Amino acid sequence: MIKTEKVLHLKSSRGRKVRVVREHYLREHVPCYSSLCQAQCANEGKVLSGEVTHYVMPDAGVARDFMEILEFREIQGIVFTQTACQAVQHSRGRRQYNRLRSLLKDPRHHCILFANEFQEYSYCPREKGEPQDKWQTRCVYHAAVWYHDHLAGLKPVVMITEDQNAVAEYSSLNCGVYVLCTQEYLQTFWPELQAALELYCSIAQSLQEKGSEGTEREYTEHLPAEVLEAGIKSGRYIQGTLNVNKHRAQHEAFVRFEGSSNKSSELNSDVLVCGGKNRNRAVHGDMVAVELLPKGEWRGRTTALTEGQGEEKGDETQSQPMATGRVVGILQRNWRDYVVTFPPKEETQSQSRNSQRILGTPWDQRIPKIRISTQQADKLQDHRVIVRLDSWDSTSLYPNGHSVRVLGRAGELETEVQTILIENCIHVPPFSEAQLGEMPVSSPESPWSVDPAEVITRRDLRQTHLVFSVDPRGCEDVDDTLSIRSLPPGPRGERLELGVHIADVTHFVKEGSLTDLEARARATTYYLADRRYDMLPAVLSADLCSLLGGVDRYAMSVMWDLDAQTLAVNTVWYGRTLIQSSYQLYYELAQALLNGEEAEVPELGTIRDAKLAQLTQALETLTHVARQLRAQRDKGGALELEGVEVRAQLDEDRNITALVPRQPLEVHETVAECMIYANHWVARKIQESFPQQALLRHHPPPRQEFFNQLQDSARARGFTIDTRSNKALADSLDRAVDPRDPLVNRLLRVMATMAMSNALYFSTGACPVDQYYHYGLALDRYTHFTSPIRRYADMIVHRLLTAAIAMEKGAGPAKALASNKELEEVAQQINNKNRAAQHAQKVSTELFQCLYFRDKDPETDERCVADAVIYTIRANGMLVFIPQYGLKGAVYLKNREGQVVSERQDGGCDWQTGSLQRYLDHITTTTAVGTSTFNLFQHITVRISVQPSRCHSDTIRLEVVSNRPHQAPETQVQTSQPQGARGRSQLVQEVVRQAEEASQQAEEKRGRASKLSTEEREFRQSKCPNLYSLLEEVRELALLDLAACGAGGGGLGAAAQACATSA
Amino acid sequence: MAGLELLSDQGYRLDGRKAAELRKVQARMGVFAQADGSAYIEQGNTKALAVVYGPHEVRGSRSKTLHDRAVINCQYSMATFSTAERKRRPHGDRKSTEMSLHLKQTFEAAVLTNLYPRSQIDIYVKILQSDGGNYSACVNAATLAVVDAGIPMRDYVCACTAGFVDETPLADLCHAEESGGGTSLALALLPRGGHIALLQMDARLHQDHLETLMEAAMTACKGVSKVLDEVVRQHLQEVSALTGE
Repeated sequence: MIKTEKVLHLKSSRGRKVRVVREHYLREHVPCYSSLCQAQCANEGKVLSGEVTHYVMPDAGVARDFMEILEFREIQGIVFTQTACQAVQHSRGRRQYNRLRSLLKDPRHHCILFANEFQEYSYCPREKGEPQDKWQTRCVYHAAVWYHDHLAGLKPVVMITEDQNAVAEYSSLNCGVYVLCTQEYLQTFWPELQAALELYCSIAQSLQEKGSEGTEREYTEHLPAEVLEAGIKSGRYIQGTLNVNKHRAQHEAFVRFEGSSNKSSELNSDVLVCGGKNRNRAVHGDMVAVELLPKGEWRGRTTALTEGQGEEKGDETQSQPMATGRVVGILQRNWRDYVVTFPPKEETQSQSRNSQRILGTPWDQRIPKIRISTQQADKLQDHRVIVRLDSWDSTSLYPNGHSVRVLGRAGELETEVQTILIENCIHVPPFSEAQLGEMPVSSPESPWSVDPAEVITRRDLRQTHLVFSVDPRGCEDVDDTLSIRSLPPGPRGERLELGVHIADVTHFVKEGSLTDLEARARATTYYLADRRYDMLPAVLSADLCSLLGGVDRYAMSVMWDLDAQTLAVNTVWYGRTLIQSSYQLYYELAQALLNGEEAEVPELGTIRDAKLAQLTQALETLTHVARQLRAQRDKGGALELEGVEVRAQLDEDRNITALVPRQPLEVHETVAECMIYANHWVARKIQESFPQQALLRHHPPPRQEFFNQLQDSARARGFTIDTRSNKALADSLDRAVDPRDPLVNRLLRVMATMAMSNALYFSTGACPVDQYYHYGLALDRYTHFTSPIRRYADMIVHRLLTAAIAMEKGAGPAKALASNKELEEVAQQINNKNRAAQHAQKVSTELFQCLYFRDKDPETDERCVADAVIYTIRANGMLVFIPQYGLKGAVYLKNREGQVVSERQDGGCDWQTGSLQRYLDHITTTTAVGTSTFNLFQHITVRISVQPSRCHSDTIRLEVVSNRPHQAPETQVQTSQPQGARGRSQLVQEVVRQAEEASQQAEEKRGRASKLSTEEREFRQSKCPNLYSLLEEVRELALLDLAACGAGGGGLGAAAQACATSA
Repeated sequence: MAGLELLSDQGYRLDGRKAAELRKVQARMGVFAQADGSAYIEQGNTKALAVVYGPHEVRGSRSKTLHDRAVINCQYSMATFSTAERKRRPHGDRKSTEMSLHLKQTFEAAVLTNLYPRSQIDIYVKILQSDGGNYSACVNAATLAVVDAGIPMRDYVCACTAGFVDETPLADLCHAEESGGGTSLALALLPRGGHIALLQMDARLHQDHLETLMEAAMTACKGVSKVLDEVVRQHLQEVSALTGE
């Protein structure tokens, strides 16, 4: 029992005119968290090093307004006082405060918290009548003095403040403690950190501008928080997240409920919020409270397709009126960093001659224009800039923001790729020195070798097992290998031993290390169309953790003792092993061996028949086993959805030379099946060992109403789709095959995929057991175990498995495992990052498609005319899929002048005045010339052109050329599939080449693009994830966000695309 | 404004205590000469006054008389000025009645009532200032008063509250912590034998956490008992010095 020194203090807070007395206990020993401490403070956890030249202590005002500057990792030795933290908490709300907290926890940031108000000698009570900010500044100054004295004057302490009076008052009182204003501080101590100073100026300016606002009210005031809370409880207001319709960002937004706050059963759908006034300053993603309008004012959602920036017209086609409301208050802002394009000069001048304010247009259409105060308007015109929102007052038509960082000129490849990353909240800085320092050394001079101590603890499979890997050709980050052999017969007959050996990443990456934190923050490796951002440093992902052929590697293994006939599992062994992969096969080779064809295995050099026979034998057994496993799952109702169609072919330099159609080789399925089996069994193991805190992955059954579109479309072709269970769906999809057009089945499968919900990671403690089910794979428990090199979830599962094994042996886990709550948080984070990664991938593909078509003249270039299939009918047009390029988009049959497309005698189309009639399965246009009909699943010919956009991403525009199938010119008489694949590969390649050429021609500095790709070559790592992962991703249906389905114009076939692009 | 952070990342509570630390306890015995026993206690800012009369003959209706032991009569009240907003009804409301009942149960378990058949012991407790942990302050004050009155008890009855925030049990909650949501458990303990005289909790808590929470509360009670013991011994010394022995 520690008895602390105590002085009783009165703290009266006159919030509601209630005088509250609170105790305040002071103590002598408050840890200072500095390694220079002379007084043996109990410093645990993060400690400031003594290496820096000084410590900096921001006062409350600086911490409140200029937190972003303190977030720079370069600024080291920051001591936050408790006073400053509390100021942030009280004036900036929970979100900002949590950011500060995570900053303090993050070992990559060099900052600590000093609890100055609990320290006996650094605390100063507030005097009567003393203003709060004065008192806070005094507190921080006293803390700074104490801190300086506590460290026996070893390190100068700099207090930064925005208050000029404080500078004047305190600066000369003590030597060793300096008081500076922020700007001066940045200029003096961090002159090389230009970005911080710029950011400072930008924030300071926007703060200044805030004071001089107009008084004209543009919006109604938000209601106070208490009123909102009471209103939500009583059911008067509805709480939800605001979702802006991407295609009608100005007009339509929806509020999706959270929880079951409203009891009225009539409101089971979203609430529509029409127009900017009703939206009342809410921004996409904010948590808002809405009030329903009277029923007479309810409106329907627009069903017509709108062209990119089309003007609104009066006679819009609307659906049934739905619940409509207006925003009365905002519960939680969810602002992130936005990429904004500065307007060109002529526009800025007309906009604001009197002040330095610029209206920037965000890249994301759902975000309103942002007003930015800047001195650099001229310099930055047509540049893309990262902007943060500061405020949005009721007197201002647009929100205020400040610029953070300049990305580059709009339209350049680098800028656009960076834009995609920022917009998806993906941060991939290069690995820092400290992180790389944690990595084991492996270089040609001092090669890494197996630690003898590890050999003893691990099961050695080097001699006993024939281990091999099957991957795409040229893959160098091999994270899974297989083995199979027959065991001596047991009491119940012949036995087989199947083994799956996964790279032991967690051996190298210790929990809580800097690399681990970085990997956790990234959560996954990001694959964009032309590049890859790794989750782990290259030394691990391409070398030490990669299970290459012919070298000793650590692995994490699952080995099943199976009955050779029934494949019933006798026993399962989990554990750490030491393996040496004998053969690094690629799919075609493995298949050739299986088929008994002549094949040259590189590892064998001169063919030795015995060895070859042994390998072939193993592959055959493996295939046999996988077939049976698959059959078992099929019985349960596993779905086969739109599969991978293409794969990347790499040349010497690891560049993609072509995407060739995947021969649906059986060996793909074999490998995938083994991995699914391993994942499943690991899931069982960890769930049994840790029923409250295991990381699993589930796939919730889809909502039935999402299948409506699929069922309607299928009906048009005379198929019925039974969606009651996954088994029924799988069967009915198998039956829905049109012998004349294989695309029909493919499109139906894509639509089924779109109806699916996303597979998600979760912690077992957070979900009831009956929700563990994986709908797509038809497994009761599933997790990710087999790709720790590129997914953080797998690393967590590896740690859980290690702990489970340790527990079995009787030893407690070396370190307390993450609790259910923490694990659930991590799972959420990984889910979000995965979604972001997929979205970024999709957008980057679209970017490349646009760049490809940008330079082609749509009127003359042959490549811009293609065959398309209609898959959905809308009010004024239809959505089509172009197999050749894997594109999907909207085709309008009615333009802004009210003209419709009509068919000429020769099959061509042109615009005529007329009317449009929409039916369930076809759409007809009637003009003076005649009527023409477009049926669902009909093949038509479209012309592809690019609609350039300065502020947003360019979009592909499609126009009907003819409503007959496209007659391909003689040179391209091939099946559409491989052709499409080629087209896509050329597309990426060509765009990259163009960008590289352009950059090389430009100044030296700009040559970064090409350098980047050579660096990538040096990593000597395949650009593609292995094929198994692709297969699995498709199977897992973690394919596209549901928003895309709802939005209409968005992407069907994103499934197909996601597959193709990640290849 | 963001909600209060009951336990900071560094392990400090709102008032600067660590999770297991008690508030400062100060107590005096024998504050009223006219009563048989009396005591005043401060637990942080919670201040309570306890007065004991008895054992004496049963007053009022004779029917309450018990033939094998004494009747314990408790009355709990709060001063009108004890809370931040003036209290309308100092005693007799539902909460006070409940508290009186709890006190009665607690002391029936601790006082050796069978020594005084057919008699009555009155315990009156008044909260002068309320800052969380009213029940425990009352029990501790009453214990001292009973000791002052010279009524034999099995052991000191020590009471303390404990709460649960972020998987950490907090000892001796103050008002801000009690009202900040979350669980609050009140425990009265006979520390030497480790017997629980009363345990009360009226919030939801996961079963797994109950054990740790009770453990924390009991440790806190033992801490309180040390302080009380010291107070009693000191009081005894003073008194004996006065009487000149």
